[in-house]
Amino acid sequence: MGNPMNRVHALALASALFFAGLPAGTAQAADSEVVVLTSYPEEMTTRYEEAFERAHPGIDLRIVWQQGRDAMATLRAEGRGGIDVYWSPAAFNFPTLADEGVFLPLAVNRAEVPGKIGVQPISDAARRYEAFEVAGYGLAINEKPLADKHIPMPSRWDDLAKPAFDGLVVMPVPSEVGFAPSLYDVILQDKGWSAGWAMLSEMAANASLAQRGGQILGPVIDGKAAAALTIDFMPRNAIAEGQPLTLIYPARTAFLPAYVAIVASAPHPTAAKVFTDYVLSSAGQKLLFRREINRYPIRPDAYDDVDGKTVNPFAVSPGATYAYDLSMGPARGPLISTLFNVAITARQDKLRTLWRAIQAAEAKGVSPATKEARALAGWVPVPDNDAVAAKVIMSFRPAKADAAPTAQMKAWADALDERQARALALVSK
Amino acid sequence: MHLSARACAVLLSLWSSSVRAADGTVTLATGPAAYQQPLPGLTGGDFETFREGAGVFRAAWLKGPSIDTPRFTGLGPLFNRRSCVACHIGNGRGEPPAETSDQTRSLLIRLSLPGADATGGPRAHPAYGDQIQTDAVIGAKPEGRVSFHWVETGVTLGDGTAVLLRRPEIVLRDLAHGPLPAEIQMSARISPAVFGLGLLEGVSGETLTKMAREKKADEVRGRVNMVWDVGRKQAVPGRFGLKANQPTLRQQIAAALAGDMGITSSFLLGDECPAAAKDCREAGSTPEIADADFEALVRYVAGLAPPPPRPRDAVAAVGAKTFADIGCAACHRETLEAQGTVLAAYTDLLLHDMGGDLADGRPDFLASGREWRTPPLWGIGLVGTVNDTAAFLHDGRARTLTEAILWHDGEAKPARDRFARLSKETRDALLAFLGTL
Ligand code: HEC
Ligand code: HEC
Repeated sequence: MGNPMNRVHALALASALFFAGLPAGTAQAADSEVVVLTSYPEEMTTRYEEAFERAHPGIDLRIVWQQGRDAMATLRAEGRGGIDVYWSPAAFNFPTLADEGVFLPLAVNRAEVPGKIGVQPISDAARRYEAFEVAGYGLAINEKPLADKHIPMPSRWDDLAKPAFDGLVVMPVPSEVGFAPSLYDVILQDKGWSAGWAMLSEMAANASLAQRGGQILGPVIDGKAAAALTIDFMPRNAIAEGQPLTLIYPARTAFLPAYVAIVASAPHPTAAKVFTDYVLSSAGQKLLFRREINRYPIRPDAYDDVDGKTVNPFAVSPGATYAYDLSMGPARGPLISTLFNVAITARQDKLRTLWRAIQAAEAKGVSPATKEARALAGWVPVPDNDAVAAKVIMSFRPAKADAAPTAQMKAWADALDERQARALALVSK
Repeated sequence: MHLSARACAVLLSLWSSSVRAADGTVTLATGPAAYQQPLPGLTGGDFETFREGAGVFRAAWLKGPSIDTPRFTGLGPLFNRRSCVACHIGNGRGEPPAETSDQTRSLLIRLSLPGADATGGPRAHPAYGDQIQTDAVIGAKPEGRVSFHWVETGVTLGDGTAVLLRRPEIVLRDLAHGPLPAEIQMSARISPAVFGLGLLEGVSGETLTKMAREKKADEVRGRVNMVWDVGRKQAVPGRFGLKANQPTLRQQIAAALAGDMGITSSFLLGDECPAAAKDCREAGSTPEIADADFEALVRYVAGLAPPPPRPRDAVAAVGAKTFADIGCAACHRETLEAQGTVLAAYTDLLLHDMGGDLADGRPDFLASGREWRTPPLWGIGLVGTVNDTAAFLHDGRARTLTEAILWHDGEAKPARDRFARLSKETRDALLAFLGTL
C-alpha cells in the first residue's frame, strides 16, 4: 500500500505538472473573470457556473448574491460595486437602472431571441436589458382537500372567492413576498382595478395570508389549504420534488420576464458579453429545464425537444394570456402593497364576517340590499383613474406590513370602515 | 431480515408514521424530497422550528449590509458556498468535479501540517487555515481554486466482469498565499447526506466503546475517535464528519457555518474557534447568525428523518443475507442502539483502516490517515432519486455502489474480496438490497 503521505505529495506534484502542461491559449480571453450580480438561488447559479466555465475555461464566474433592494443600492453606488452583469428576477430594477444610464445596449438576434411572447412584449425596446427567462402566475392546488369537499378544480381566479373555498386559500402579502405585487397586478390589469380589488377582498375572506415565501406552499402541501396564488416555479420545483401539488394557470394570466444586462462601466466588458451571450444561447437557455431550476426559456428553439408535460409559453392558448402591460406592474407595486395592507391584511377578520354575511344573505335571495352591500364591501379607496396616474402611483414607497400607517392610510381605513359598516348593516337586518 | 423482533417493532413504529398524516401522500417519503422529511412526532411548535430551520438551511447568505435580508448577513470574507443546501444538495450528497476544467463546488479540501494542535486536532496552516476557501466576497481574494484530475484504473471481478475505477488527484491553482509546503496534508471530502443525524446523536459513548471492544469477524477492529468538545472543553467521542471528527451536531453545524461560510455563531465566536477556523477567528466576537436561527438550524438537521426502506422482494432478501454473510455488517451494522430505540442505520460510527488507496494521509484527532468512519447506508438506495450525480466514498470517486465496494481495503479487504468473487446473480442481489435502503 505504501506510505499514504508520499502519495499526497506525489499528487500535489502531479497537479503542478498537470497544469504546467496545459496548452497555452486555453485562457486566451481578455478577461479572466466576470462578476455577476444575481438573486437566483444557488442551486441554479451552480449549474450556470459549471456549464459556463466548461464552455469558457479561461473565465472565472464570480457571483455576488443580492436581492432587489440591495442590488439597486450596489448598482447605484460609486463604481457600481465592480459588477459586470446584472442577472436577476428582480425585474422592476431594470427599467429604473436603464433610465439612469447604468446599462450598455445588448446585441441580440431577434430571429432567435424574439423579445416577446405572443402579443406580450417581454424585453426592452431599446435593448438595454433583455429577457432571460419568464415566469407565469398561477395556482398551486392540492387535489385531495378539493376532492374531500367535492369542490371542482378552479379554472378562474374568481373561483377562489366563492364560499366553498372558505379557509382553503393562501394569498401572499405583496409587501412581504417579492413576486406578489406583480401577481396581483396581473389579476388587476385583467379584471380592471375596482372589480379586481372587490374580488381580492372576497377571496381574502377565504384565505390565510402568507407573510413569507416559505409559508405559501406549506399549507397546501399539508392539505390544510387547497389552493395558493403563486409564481409558477415554486410549485413546479415542489412537484419535481414529489410534493402532491398540481399547477394550473387560471384565466387570465401573464408570463413575466427576468432580465440580464451589461453594466456600462463593467470592469470586464469582454467577459460580460461572453456571459450574456451564453445565458441567451440555446445551450444556456436549455439549462433552465433542469430539475432544480425549472424555469421557462425565452427562446422558442429551447422548447424543441421538451416532453408533453412542459408548458410552452410560446404555444399556450391565446385566451389564457393577454397583452399585459409590463411597465405598469413594477411602477404600481408599492401602491398595490400599501392598499393591500390597508384593505386586506389589517382587516381580514372583519372581511370574513362581512363577506360571510353577504354570501348568507345572497343565499336566501339576491336583492337590491345585497347588491348594494356587495358594492360597498368591495369598494377600494383608490379610484380607477388614480391607479393609472403616474403622479399618484409614484407617490408610494415600498413599506412593510407592520410600518406605521400614514395619514393617507388612516383616511383609507376610515373610508373602508364606514362603507363596510353600512354593507354589514344592509345584510344583517 | 436479521433484525430481532424487538428491533422490527421499533423500526416499524418509527417509519409507519413518518409520512405526515395530513397530506396522505405515501409516495412522498421516497421521492426527490426523501431526505427532507421531518421525524415522526415533530408537531406544533417543534414542527414550526423545523420549518424555520429549513429556511435557514436553504438561505443564501451575503456580506451585508442588507436591506432585503439583514437576517442573513455576515458571509465570508472567505467562504466555500453561501448556503448549506448548495453543498448538501437536496439534503443529499455533493458532486465531485467531473472534468479537470470544473471547480469543486460541493466538496471541501481540508488542510493541515503534520502534528496536532493544543486540542489534539489537526494543526492548521498559518495562512490557509484548515480548509481551502474557494470563494470570497468582492474585495477579498479566494484562497485558491480546486479541481480534480481523474486517474482511471480497473479491476476484474471473479466472474470476469471488468469494472473501471477512478481516483482523484487534487489540482490546485491560483493559490492566494503561494504554494503549499511539501509536508502539507490534504483531505478531499464530499458533502455527505444530512438526514437521520439526530437519531445517531442518541448513540451513547458507552455503546460506541462497547462496539469498538467487541470481537468482530475478519479481524475487523473499529475505534472511537476522541475529539475536542468546544462547549465542554474536553475530549469526547466523535461521531459526525467523515472521520468522526465532530462530537455533536451543534458543533458540527457551528463549524460548517464558520469554515464553509465564514459565519460566526455564539457557539463559535472569533476567540473560541476550533483548531484552525482562521476565518472564523478573524470574523471577531459578534455572532453573525442570530441565536434563534442557529437553534432552528440545529433542530432542523437533528429533526430530519431517514427515508423508510422499501419492501424487500425475494432477490433483495437474498442480498440482505449476502450482506451479512460476506462480512459487510461487521461495520455497516444492521442495528444500532440509540436511547432505547434500535436504528437500522447500517453503521457503527467507528473508525476503520480502509487501506492505502482510500487513505488521505491526514490524521484528524485519533483518526489516522488511513481511517474513515463507517458511513450510514440508510437512504443510500435513493441517491439517484434525490441527486443528479451519484458520488460515493469520502471524495466522491465511486460512481456506482459496486465501485464503492471495490475500493474497500484494509480491515474491509476480506469482505471486499468475497464480494468480488460473488456470482453476478448474488452480486446483483446484494445491490438490489442496497437499493431498498
Ligand atoms: C462547502 C460545502 C459545504 C457547506 C457549505 C456545508 N457543508 Fe456540511 N459538510 C460538508 C462536508 C465536506 C462535510 C464532511 C466534513 C468532514 O468530514 O469534516 C459536511 C458535514 C456535515 C455534517 C455531518 C454529516 C455526518 O454524516 O456526519 C452536517 C450535519 C453538516 N455538514 C451540516 C451542514 C450545515 C447545517 C451547513 C450550513 C450551515 C453546512 N453543512 C454547510 C460540506 C459542506
Ligand atoms: C471494515 C469496515 C467495513 C466493512 C467490512 C465494509 N465497509 Fe463499507 N465502508 C466502510 C467505510 C469506512 C466506508 C467509507 C470509506 C470512504 O469514504 O473512503 C465505507 C463505504 C461504503 C459505501 C459507500 C457509502 C457512501 O455513503 O459513500 C458502501 C456502499 C459500502 N461501504 C458498502 C459495503 C458493502 C456492501 C460491504 C460488504 C462487501 C462493506 N461496505 C464492508 C467500512 C466498511
